[in-house]
Amino acid sequence: MKKTHIPKLDDFLGGGIPKGSSILFCAVPGVECEAFGYQILNGIIEDGDKGFIFTNVTEPQNIIYEFSKYGWNLEQFLEEEKVFFVDGSSNFMGVPPMGKYSIDELSQIEGVVLKAIDDIPDGIGVINNLSTLLDYLEENKIIEIIGKWNKRAREKNTILVYIFTKWDYDPKIIENIKNSVDNVISLTSIEERVIIGQGFMVTSASWTTPSKNMVLFFVLQPGGVKIYIPKILVTGPYNAGKTSFVKSISKKSVSVERMAMEKFPTTIAMDIGHVDHNGFVADIFGTPGQERFDLMLDVLAKESVGAFILIDSSAPQTFARAKEMIKKTQSEAIPKIIVANKQDLPGALSPEQIRKTMKLDKSIPIIPTVVNENIGVEKALDAF
Amino acid sequence: MIPCIESGIPGFDELTRSNDGTGGIPENTATLIYGPAKTGKSIFTNQFTYKGLTNDEPCLYITTDNGYKQFKNTMEEFNWPIEEYIDNNSLYLIDTISDISKGKPSQSESFIQSYINNPTDIMVKIGSGVHYIYKNNPRFRSVIDSATTLLAYNENMLIIRVLKAYLMRVNEAGGTPIIVYTQDTADSIIETMSKSMVDNIIRVDGEKLYIEAMKGIERRSSPYQITDNGIVIK
Repeated sequence: MKKTHIPKLDDFLGGGIPKGSSILFCAVPGVECEAFGYQILNGIIEDGDKGFIFTNVTEPQNIIYEFSKYGWNLEQFLEEEKVFFVDGSSNFMGVPPMGKYSIDELSQIEGVVLKAIDDIPDGIGVINNLSTLLDYLEENKIIEIIGKWNKRAREKNTILVYIFTKWDYDPKIIENIKNSVDNVISLTSIEERVIIGQGFMVTSASWTTPSKNMVLFFVLQPGGVKIYIPKILVTGPYNAGKTSFVKSISKKSVSVERMAMEKFPTTIAMDIGHVDHNGFVADIFGTPGQERFDLMLDVLAKESVGAFILIDSSAPQTFARAKEMIKKTQSEAIPKIIVANKQDLPGALSPEQIRKTMKLDKSIPIIPTVVNENIGVEKALDAF
Repeated sequence: MIPCIESGIPGFDELTRSNDGTGGIPENTATLIYGPAKTGKSIFTNQFTYKGLTNDEPCLYITTDNGYKQFKNTMEEFNWPIEEYIDNNSLYLIDTISDISKGKPSQSESFIQSYINNPTDIMVKIGSGVHYIYKNNPRFRSVIDSATTLLAYNENMLIIRVLKAYLMRVNEAGGTPIIVYTQDTADSIIETMSKSMVDNIIRVDGEKLYIEAMKGIERRSSPYQITDNGIVIK
């Protein structure tokens, strides 16, 4: 087994990737995927093995530059002959090729990569990019070539990492490509009109039953692929039941409260909780409802992947304030859910009445709840 | 009523005026501008970009023909200074053509480098560019100048896929994208496919500008001139 050096991925794969196996990073267009291949290569070379990068998407010099932005010294690996390039780009761009092997005709790709695999037994090869190859060659030819490369890699104990962007190909082609490798890792986007987050998930691995959890990540320069626990914001006017909501959806929670007018507790700093719902893991941050804390709302909204806006259904006089808070989070493109709390109180408005009174767009779900009795809380979580 | 945004080209909004009185580029639709080389396609989109910037509509601009410096100079020649908009990040420029291995100009928040033959990377940068712009203003413009260069450096079918993903991404976010393409530089089938992806098609031939298709209006045309102030429709 070799470590991928991608945080969390080794856990999902039962410790790492077996020697001689093939991995496909299958990305939705717009999701960062090259960093995964480069990070695995960099880690494995640092561990003392050898490798190559096949590129048909940019000249080797640019890849060296990309590595340097991540904080990895590819230049040194090249000098020490720990890594070499299979340059499938320069000749096509009309610039002098660089690297141990270069390609000036598509028909050479298959053989040259086989040679490269032979050169680095127990090592790692990164193929960037498979989708670019797919549009140049026939589909059947590509499947055949991948088959040959993987077979040779197995014989030589070499790991092959394929970078693949899932443009709008025929689903059958994508399926065939996925079936040609030992391990598929899907890179997807979390979208609310724009990409607001990126996640990876192991779709299949021939050597283990992988965990199907999705992990959110971002790519840092320098740093590479980093995972993060998303934040969910809980906000709403004063006394709407935010703290109770955070408590009821979290396994554990902390709240900083003080007795308001010595009668009931009110949050004066923040409620913090942690939710684990259907494989989705998130930290929950509840803000105080008073206006003087709005500064905090701005900051938290920027870092959140979603927001619950709590309202007291029986207190329509607070709706204007709720609307103002929605606006404050609106500038951030994150999904929002209105939790219409205190449905059990006399005079509580129904979700339809609330929508009308607050003039809310239909795209924003309104979930009726009685947080204190745990009614509707589960439904609010499902709405995400 | 079809909401339109001002094109910035004198005479264009009048030429495209529909029965309900609106004229310009229909908001949140995709436009292809094509024609032979040197007929003012880039000038058209540069005017469109500059109009947006002065109207507080940011622009995501993907340049494949001219590097940053050249683009800036061209804009200045027409008296459309862009420095201010680069500084305040309302012009988000993805430069796919400047050779960064030499010189390596520094990247800023809204000046991003990519590689002409790496559609995967270009799309990643477009994705984060759209997010960046949308956060500040959901009404924005976007330009690819030009698809021709992308086609020249990559397999044509791949670029069709890239352009589709680009239009979808910008449209979903509420933006208004324009793609520039030089006529007859790719197979006719690629040209047909490019046309089928967009809502509006504008052709220029050096003398006349033709609205071959546009949401809400029938075909129209009018002579135009390239002046020191850009394109003017007569």
